[in-house]
Amino acid sequence: MNKKKWSLFAILLALVLVLAACSGDKDGGNAGGKDKPEPKKVDTSAFPMAVDNKDEAIKGGALEVALVSSSPFKGIFLAELYEDGYDSDIMDFASNNLFAVKQDFLISDTGIGALKVDEKNNKATVTIRKEVKWSDGEPLTIDDVIYPYEIIGHKDYTGIRYDVNFKNIVGAEEYHAGKEKTISGLKKIDDYNLEISFKELSPAIYTGGDGLWAYAAPKHYLKDVAIKELIKSDKVRKSPVTLGAFKFDKIVNGESVQFLANEHYWKGKPKVDKAVITSVPPTQIGKALKAGKYDIATSFPATEYDSIKDAKNLTILGRPELAYTYIAFKLGKRDSKKGIAIPNPDAKMNDVNLRHAFAYAMDVEQVADEYYEGLRTRSKSLIPPVFELYYDDTLEGFKYDPEKAKKLLDDAGYKDVDGDGLREDKNGEKLEIKLAAMAGSDKDEAIVSYYLQNWKEVGLNVVLTTGRLIEFNSFYEKVRADDKDIDVFQAALGTGSDPSPAGAFSPDSQFNTSRFATPELDKLLAKIDSKEALDPEVRAKAFKDWQLYMFEQAPIFPIYSRTEVMPVNKRIKNYDKDHFTKMDLNELELTADKPIK
Amino acid sequence: MWKTIIRRILIMIPQLFVLSLLIFIMAKFMPGDPFTGLVTPDTDPNRIEELRIQAGFYDPWYEQYYRWITNALQGEFGDSYSFQVKVSTLIGERGLNTLWLSLLSVTLLYAIAIPLGIIAGRYQNSLPDKLIVLYSFISYAIPTFVLALIFLFLFGYQYPIFPTSGTVDVQYDPGTWGYFWSKVYHLLLPAITYAILGTTTIIQYLRTEIIDAKRMDYVKTARSKGIPISKVYTKHIFRNSLLPIAAFFGFTITGLLGGSVFIETIFGFPGMGQLFINAISARDYSVITALVMLFGFLTLVGSLLSDIIMSIVDPRIRIE
Repeated sequence: MNKKKWSLFAILLALVLVLAACSGDKDGGNAGGKDKPEPKKVDTSAFPMAVDNKDEAIKGGALEVALVSSSPFKGIFLAELYEDGYDSDIMDFASNNLFAVKQDFLISDTGIGALKVDEKNNKATVTIRKEVKWSDGEPLTIDDVIYPYEIIGHKDYTGIRYDVNFKNIVGAEEYHAGKEKTISGLKKIDDYNLEISFKELSPAIYTGGDGLWAYAAPKHYLKDVAIKELIKSDKVRKSPVTLGAFKFDKIVNGESVQFLANEHYWKGKPKVDKAVITSVPPTQIGKALKAGKYDIATSFPATEYDSIKDAKNLTILGRPELAYTYIAFKLGKRDSKKGIAIPNPDAKMNDVNLRHAFAYAMDVEQVADEYYEGLRTRSKSLIPPVFELYYDDTLEGFKYDPEKAKKLLDDAGYKDVDGDGLREDKNGEKLEIKLAAMAGSDKDEAIVSYYLQNWKEVGLNVVLTTGRLIEFNSFYEKVRADDKDIDVFQAALGTGSDPSPAGAFSPDSQFNTSRFATPELDKLLAKIDSKEALDPEVRAKAFKDWQLYMFEQAPIFPIYSRTEVMPVNKRIKNYDKDHFTKMDLNELELTADKPIK
Repeated sequence: MWKTIIRRILIMIPQLFVLSLLIFIMAKFMPGDPFTGLVTPDTDPNRIEELRIQAGFYDPWYEQYYRWITNALQGEFGDSYSFQVKVSTLIGERGLNTLWLSLLSVTLLYAIAIPLGIIAGRYQNSLPDKLIVLYSFISYAIPTFVLALIFLFLFGYQYPIFPTSGTVDVQYDPGTWGYFWSKVYHLLLPAITYAILGTTTIIQYLRTEIIDAKRMDYVKTARSKGIPISKVYTKHIFRNSLLPIAAFFGFTITGLLGGSVFIETIFGFPGMGQLFINAISARDYSVITALVMLFGFLTLVGSLLSDIIMSIVDPRIRIE
């Protein structure tokens, strides 16, 4: 009997140990709000953007890349057709991109293509380098630059890129309707020059906007496939022909891709022999990197930072993301017939002081340090700081200041009349502010409750719409439909490489979800994309005026800017993830046969 | 019996029809649509609207349903919105992955569970019996994802014996031995996890049945005729004790295509369970409806198969 008991005990003990080992130190960030735990902030500005490896490189070698994703990738490898970020991450290794960018994402002339803009006549000329070859050895010609326009503009094209920008090209709509065989605004000058006529030009042209398309497509290879069949064809899914440093070799659908060095690459054949990209579930990525299974992880989730921060075999690169998280107030409704936002003067949040108080009451700094370990920081402006020219660094932002919030509310007439510790509105009626927020990781729940407590401390009664966090699809449906149970909502916004706010803030935009619209705003936005703003200084000034106005009015205010983390194995040499990168993948080298453990 | 089988198959038609109607309407009730996830400030809302109109999302539901059902009857389930391939191709690919995984899992499962069940039943209250019962309780109590994670970290990283994600190593060409072995190698860890977790029911059924059968008159008769005890077990008791397991066998066969969301997600294994979950969150209607129809059909076939198997194993049961 004794023996049996012991064996049982041993098994249970073993199990408990294994379980304990697995749960590890994951529950570190349990800040309920009251007992403030010690901040464990990292200084994200200290993250380098490039690796600094002085070791001697080996010859060749295979680069192992992890694509962090919880679902299989879609495998549409053509820039004109893909819709999924993971496909784009994969394509980066064999990119058909024509243009390189410099500071502020302006197109430079260091890429395959150069851009010359004729502002007066609304024309732009794309010039491609001679002697550039596709991965199958065929030369790149200007027809390959024209072909993408014919794909996107085609009537059988079902993707999202036939949009308002694309229609800005003269003749695009006629071509789409099938009236014309070609796009009249595209004029082939010779084998290396293409002149594009636009209906209108804005400063966005310099960052690849206004309808300019930044990729080439191998016409000699794709022309036999009908546009309708293109997305399903093997030429797109199984054996794409490309321009980038690497070329597709083998593809296991949804799981992995093997690239070989492209001997035709115009900047020279890459120094490593091959690169293998494998889809890795987020739950495994920390472990896998530490175990030396991969050299680089793309789309590394910030929530997994904890699992790799102490790893000795990794260099952690960081770069600012072109996105921010924000809080927006519902200040009106969208009239879908007229297609404009109609402000509602009686909206609950239609008081600048209330909005400011709401913002000052949020202890964003604490949350950023505690829950995001500094990977997110208080954002002060609706323009990410990467855009040095446009970012207004004089803005103070809404630094956490509960006393100021209280004072603003007192002065504006939001007072606690019935003595329950919560303020009533100006008419003495109960004030209940409904906040909609998206469900995501388990952190989100804790963070939102912390903010709810913040607001309570200044006397604002904020509750969650539907009583809990909302699933992604429902959230956007509710926000877009101007659901009556939403007074405030929290969401995130990516700016892309052209930070023009018109798309997200102009009164006639569907994405202006706060439905804030004033004549001043109209004026400020128009200025940013106007013809005068083709002058960078005028545009920079216009951006700053707009940022200041948005700070003062606060229909929406940014809370965090994000830092994208990229763990890289220590055997990687010559690798640079700067947005305006100078170093290309063909220069990448390895200093050991296998990733360092 | 043939008559009954045919009748059962005929009844499936209205059953599947009702299912298709329900799933179609419910899928449309979900907030959002396949294009919601594509929207960023860089996308043009008018273009999205155009795509919605092209996809027919603004037509009355019965028109959409009619369009879908007439195509579906011809075996045409449309294209997946997010993968942009034919739904049949997509399900074929993922289904095959899942099928191999399930086949291996179920084989391992029976290979573990049947001997354990027999030993536990035959030597009731012995030490092995107690250990087996303990094992089956533990495996029953452990949530799938916990064991999957433990195994993954132990045998994928701590002692890197098995590959940790995917179905095959990219460097092998299809059709070669290396490719085949790589596929099997990738299946092993998830299959073992799955098998260990699924054994409880079979062990418990088999054990109780054997314990009950031991006291049956036919066993006593057989023993009194002088048949050796081991023969009584293999010839008489075992066959009778398998009945309740046979009752599920039809479902087991058709369930091979179901897939396990947890196992597939943790092991990064692109199979049916994951496809289903992803399709739901991406509102990939065509995939959702096709999968539910397939699962519904398989369940119906599974119950029919189970009945047929029962009637073969147990001659007392006749389908009338």
